[in-house]
Formats: sequence, structure tokens, C-alpha cells
Amino acid sequence: MSSRGDTVGIIGAGSFGTALGSVLARSGRRVILWSRDTAVVAAIQSQRVSPRLPKAPLPAPLEATADPKRLAAEARFLVLAVSSTNVRERARELGDVLDGSHIVVHAIGALAAPTNERVSEVMAQGLPTLKLGVLAGPALPADLVEGQFSSMVIASAFDEVVAEGRRLLNAPPGLRIYSSKDLIGVELASALSGAYTVALGLADGLGIGPGPRAVLITRAVAEASRLGVAAGAEARTFAGLAGLGNLLVRSAGDRSADYMLGRRLADGIVTADSARTEGARAALAGMELAGKLRTRMPMLQGVAAVLSGKLEPKDAAKLIGDTVAVEE
Amino acid sequence: MASDRPVREAENRLERFNGDRERLLSEVERRVVARRVGESKSGGDHSLENVLNDVAFNEIRRLDTKGGNPAADRWKDLSRRLLGMSDEEKAAELRKLVCYYGQDVVGNFDPRVYKFATGIGPALLGFVFNPITSLRQGMDTMRNLDARISADGDLDLVRQCAERGTIVVTPTHSSNMDSPAIGLGMLRAHLPPVTYGAGKNLFSNPFVSYFMRNLGAYRVDRRLKFELYKDVLKEYSTVLLEHGYHSLFFPGGTRCRSNIIEKHLKLGLLGTTVTAYKNSVREGSPNKRIYIVPVTINYRLVLEAETLIADYLADTGKSRYIITDDEFSRIGRILEFFRKILVHEGSVVVRFGRPLDVFGNDITDDGESIDRAGRVVDPASFLRGADGEVTDDDQRDAEYTRALGRRLAAAYPKLTVYHSTNLVARALYDAISKTVGTRDIYRLLRAPMAQLGVPVADALAELVRMRARIAANPSFGSEHPHYIDQSAEAKLDDAIKGLGTYHTRPAVVRQGDILQVDDVKLLYYYQNRTAHIPPEGNP
Repeated sequence: MSSRGDTVGIIGAGSFGTALGSVLARSGRRVILWSRDTAVVAAIQSQRVSPRLPKAPLPAPLEATADPKRLAAEARFLVLAVSSTNVRERARELGDVLDGSHIVVHAIGALAAPTNERVSEVMAQGLPTLKLGVLAGPALPADLVEGQFSSMVIASAFDEVVAEGRRLLNAPPGLRIYSSKDLIGVELASALSGAYTVALGLADGLGIGPGPRAVLITRAVAEASRLGVAAGAEARTFAGLAGLGNLLVRSAGDRSADYMLGRRLADGIVTADSARTEGARAALAGMELAGKLRTRMPMLQGVAAVLSGKLEPKDAAKLIGDTVAVEE
Repeated sequence: MASDRPVREAENRLERFNGDRERLLSEVERRVVARRVGESKSGGDHSLENVLNDVAFNEIRRLDTKGGNPAADRWKDLSRRLLGMSDEEKAAELRKLVCYYGQDVVGNFDPRVYKFATGIGPALLGFVFNPITSLRQGMDTMRNLDARISADGDLDLVRQCAERGTIVVTPTHSSNMDSPAIGLGMLRAHLPPVTYGAGKNLFSNPFVSYFMRNLGAYRVDRRLKFELYKDVLKEYSTVLLEHGYHSLFFPGGTRCRSNIIEKHLKLGLLGTTVTAYKNSVREGSPNKRIYIVPVTINYRLVLEAETLIADYLADTGKSRYIITDDEFSRIGRILEFFRKILVHEGSVVVRFGRPLDVFGNDITDDGESIDRAGRVVDPASFLRGADGEVTDDDQRDAEYTRALGRRLAAAYPKLTVYHSTNLVARALYDAISKTVGTRDIYRLLRAPMAQLGVPVADALAELVRMRARIAANPSFGSEHPHYIDQSAEAKLDDAIKGLGTYHTRPAVVRQGDILQVDDVKLLYYYQNRTAHIPPEGNP
């Protein structure tokens, strides 16, 4: 059996957590997948299949458990892969069994509900360890399961977190891990890319051509970088895997809830608050942050205005088109 | 609270310092030399030749600015000999230099001086620094001395931590009077004396130097910027902490020029707390805890206010890292400071906050570390790897120290104690900002005198609102505890008296119903203590 230091613990047996476990286990890495759902745990242990992602091969180095103590005892490096609405609760639960030696990175491309803080900030409030990080990038569960060429970036203020993440999560050719020190940048880029995905869905729904679409994508990266820099991040992070990478993959088809929300908005379908996607929440939270940091965000402003019913989709497009072009 | 050390050792541990001195120094020498020789095997910047050359180069540059300084000859000679030296000779030279700088740094503790300074010293100082005209006045002076420098805050917990572990006191830094002020503050709080690194420039004042030399202070020469010196200094601090000597660091570095509560802390010596704790854990003593105590030193008037704020506002301000010609260097000004400032009851308040562990975690009343969710955590686990072994990782430890620095910086505002001078300066600054239409100090400095007059009624109204905001928001800090019930009028009078009489030029003078701001810089300096309180209406 692999040592504790060579084992990856994954918290959350949803589609991403399961797909990540699958790609790692196939490369020979020992993985412990933790889920509160005992039926999921039993299915994985007995049939090597997850009801959440039936196509994912789950070979033997992967084990499932519902026991958080076992997870903490057998894996020092943990990936938190739960919904942004559950972060706080999971962190509190996990905090009871972790200590200062654990490393925890999250793979949540959103801000944490309901406070719209960065996920690492919420983790810091609930976990005893300070060694926190983020894993982000355009790695879709389906691509990971199919063994397609995927890449992500891991970021942390701690070199040890990044080095351990690269050592333990690299599973080429199915998954390659890049590194960054820009924790704030990667978290914001990843969350904001959801908001801009809504904008692209909206624009596509309105039938814009490839030229204006390219403008929207590049301006999205530019204004997200502006907000990021004001928040203490590095501009170039937003043009990387977590920012531009995520935006391109999420807006590439109909697989993203954020993109589909944009399409529905363009069709005049009003979405109830409760049905809002993480990208929609990120748009509203991003505007709040932009207000605090006094950053101009015309594109995000347009999306937020449509989401809150203050603007018609076609007027939002006009709003963006009317902004004065300045030095790029 | 678990401890490897009997409680009785918490009493003045510095009393055993002179007996330990040589052992501590040889430990510093052994560690620094072993580390440097070990690192030299990788060559390049780490080679001994490079280390020694760095010392020689910096010393020649420091000493021989105009050429021909014989003190530089030793270093020129070293520089010349370096190329021909064998590895053994270089190691021997390294050892010699480490000893040399160790001796330069090391402090001394004379129990007789301590007894004098803490016993009859303050009373004598009271007589010396006050014009005593009668026996009755003399007795009053002695009785009042306690009231002049007061200490409050989480004193019980800090005392317990000092008994059960090693404390590191980390105060804000406004004045060169901070060292005696915190020393007296700790005495008032019945806390043991601490050792601390004091800028070598402070030793130029013979009066202060005498006490500092004999009360455990060690010398920090900020002009020596080469790595070997920093190594010696940090190792000395680490060894002191490991041996249980309570310490004091000013994490803001030099005195704060602006009087704004420090936000960006220098982490050099603070980082030695993590190293010292790591060494203890590695040696099997994880319960040898080190506690970091945030402290604010709050003056009614600051001795060097005029020089500091002028330096802050001057373009070259930041470059004057060490000011050697300020009020502190003039004995007459110090006497005046004692006479005019320290006679005022409660003129200095030293407030102690709740201690943290070396990773910035809060602690329980029993001294156990707790995470932000309130769970008890084992601090040693922060230093362990996957198999429970203690691991070395300088970058990790630096990040832990940054986390600690952020917690300290966050603790200072709520530990701030406002004197009348701060509150009235803020009220007047708010009032003139409204008149001139800007809070920008450089524009206010150019404003005509006519715009710098504030009706007394307006100033009182601003003051009342500011006091109400502070009372409603503990994160802003608090008013001086002796004067919470003081009327706004009395507070205004007290502040005008203070701001108008001590400094060479009055910050503000009363002309009938108008308060005329005469020195905007000084007003700005005193109101800066409230800079973390946003202007009314701003979130």
C-alpha cells in the first residue's frame, strides 16, 4: 500500500471528484474518495462504478469511504471538490479531523455562497491547516474520464503545496499540472470565467458574429485582469488556464450551465434567483468587488444588469459596444 | 496548560542570563558556522569565499566612505587574502567573524541595575525630572508616577503565558521612548523583563545606553546589511527563545514616521519564533510554547513627532532609515518630555492584547492553540510532514510568519487607545478637510490660514460624533479608560493644552471661539492614529 504522503484524498464524489480520482488511479496513484453518501461509497467499493459518473473507470488504487477520520489518517494531500454552496459545511466537518500538517486544495471554480468570498478564505475559517491552495483549469470530467489531454494549474502561497500538488496530481498524458503562486488570481480568474461564460452564452443567443465574439473574449480577459490586479492578483493569470482556458471550454458548447443560462436569457426567459448558476452569482459578486475596488467592468456590469432585470439583453450588448476604446 | 518548564522559571529569567551568555554565544557560533560551511558545498553564492567577500565589501563601503579610514584596513586585508586562502582558512576566518559579530550583538543583564531601574529608579527619576518645591509635592510625584505609564489589556493571560512558556512582546513603534515605556509598562503589569534588539544608534545616548546595556538589550546595527550579520542576529534571537528568554521585537521595524498604526510588518526577527519552536519540537519538546503578544504603546504626546512627520512628508523621508539627529538625541528635549509629558496622568498607555501562537493562531485561556473555528490544534503539527517528522522548509516558515504578521496587524487597531490629542486632532482634521474640500495632506498644507480656523462649536460636534463612533465599534480601538466619561469640552481643553505647549510650534491655538490650526503637519501626525477609522459616511 502507498504511504500517506503518496496518497491523494478527494473530498466529494461528484462528477469532477470522481473523474479526477479515475485519472489518478489509472496512473497508479492511490486515491481515497470521500463521500457522505454511503450508497455511492458502497457502489464504488463493490462494483467499481460511481452512480454519479458511470462511465468513469475506477481501478483498484481508488478506494471510497464515508469515514472522514480514515481520509485524514491515510492521506495528507486533499482535494476539496464539492459544490460552492457546501464549502463552509464541508470545511467545518473536515476541520474536526485534520491538523496543521494537511494540505488542502480546492477545485471549485466559483465564489463561496452566500458571502461570495474566495473559497480559500472560507477554507481558512474552517480548517486548522494554513497550507491551502486551488486547482483550476479547463479539465472537464468527460475529458478526464476519456483520457483526453487535459491540463490544470495549482496555486498556493506555499511552495510545498504547489510542489506536492504537481507530484501527486500529474498523470500525463491525461492530466498535466502547471504551477502558480497567484492564489488570489487563479481563484478569481476561475470564478469570473463563469460570469463571462454567461455573457458569451447571451451573445451567442443574440447571434453575434465571430469577430465581436472574439472581442468579447479578449475584453473579458482584460477587465477580469483589471479587477484581479486591484485585488492583489497578477494580470497574466487571467490569460492562463484558470481564466481564458476556463472561459473557452465553458463557452464551447452546451455542456456548461453558465453558458446555457446566457442562452436562455437571450431568449427572454427570466430565471428565478434560486436557479442561478455559479457564473451568475460570480457576475453579481464580481460587480460588488469591482465597486469596492473602484474598477471599471463594463462587460460584467452588462451581465449583472441583465441578471437583475435592469437591462434587456440587447441593450447590454449595446452598453458594451458603446464603451470608449482606450489603450489596450 | 502543558509545559516542559517549571512555573518558577517564569520569574525574571534574565537573572540567569550572564551565566548563560557564553553558552548562548557558542551555540550561535556553532550553528551559523555549521550551516554556512554546509551550504558552501553547493558553491556559487554560497561559497565561503563569496560570504567572506560580501562582509569585507560591505564593511569597506561603510567605513571607508572618504578613503583613508584605518578602521577599514582590516577588511581590505581580508579581501586581499581571500584568493589565496585554503578552505580550512576560510572556515577559520568565518568562525572568527561570527564570534566578532556575536560579541557585538550580545547583551548583558545586571540584576543591580534592574533593581535600581525597577525599584528606586522611577521614584528618583520622578524627583529629577520634576521641579520639586516642597516635600508634599515630592510625595505626590512619587505617588503619581504609577499613573503616568499605565498597562492594561489581557494581562492575566499574558502573565500565565509568561509563566508557562516564552513570550515575545510585539509592540507598535512610535518613539525611541518606547523601550523605557514598554519596560515600565511590563513592570506595572507584573510581567518579567524581556530581552530585545535595540538599534545601535540608541546606544549613543549615554543615559539610555547605560540602562539598555545592562537590562538585557542586544545591539542591532542596521548599517550592517550583509547576510552573515543577519544570520548571527537571527540565530542569537532563535537561541534566546529556545532557552526561554522572553523577548521583544518591534515588528514595524523602525519608528513609524506617520503615526499610522503599522500595517506592513517586517518579519525578519519575528520569523525566529517559528524556527525556535521548530527546534524545540525536533528536540522532543513540543510543549515548549512561544506566545506572541500584540501590544500598542499609546502616547498623549510623542517626543519626536515633529521630526518624524517632517521626515514622512519629505520626498526623501523613506531614505532616512536611521535618524540620528532627532529630539531623542538632545538630552534637554528628553528632560522636557519627562517634565511636561510624563507628569500628565495616564500620558502613556501600554495595552496588551491576547497572545497568539507562532503561526498566528489564537490561544485558549489555557494557552492551547486554536484554529479560526475555535478547535484546539496541535501547533507542532504545522511543522510535520506526511509521516509525522519535523521538516525544514524556509519558504513555508516565512509564509507562516507572514500569517502571524497579518494577525498582528489586524490586532493593533482594536488595541489602540486614543488620547484627547488624537481625538481632537482628528476632529479638527475632519473639519478643515470639509472646508478645504480635500483630505489630502499636501493640499491641506497649501491651504490659506483662513481655511484652517475651526469654530469651537464645530470642533466639539465633530469630537462628539467621533467618540460615539469609537464607542459603537470596538474594532476601531477605544478611548483612554481614565477619560471615557470626560466631557467633550474638557477633552478639547486638554488636547489644546497638550498640542499647544510641548512642541516647538503649537499645532493648534485657541483664539476666542475659533481653533486656529497652526501646524497642519503635527495635526496630521496626531490624527493619523485614527487613520483606520474611515471618514464619516464612507464604509
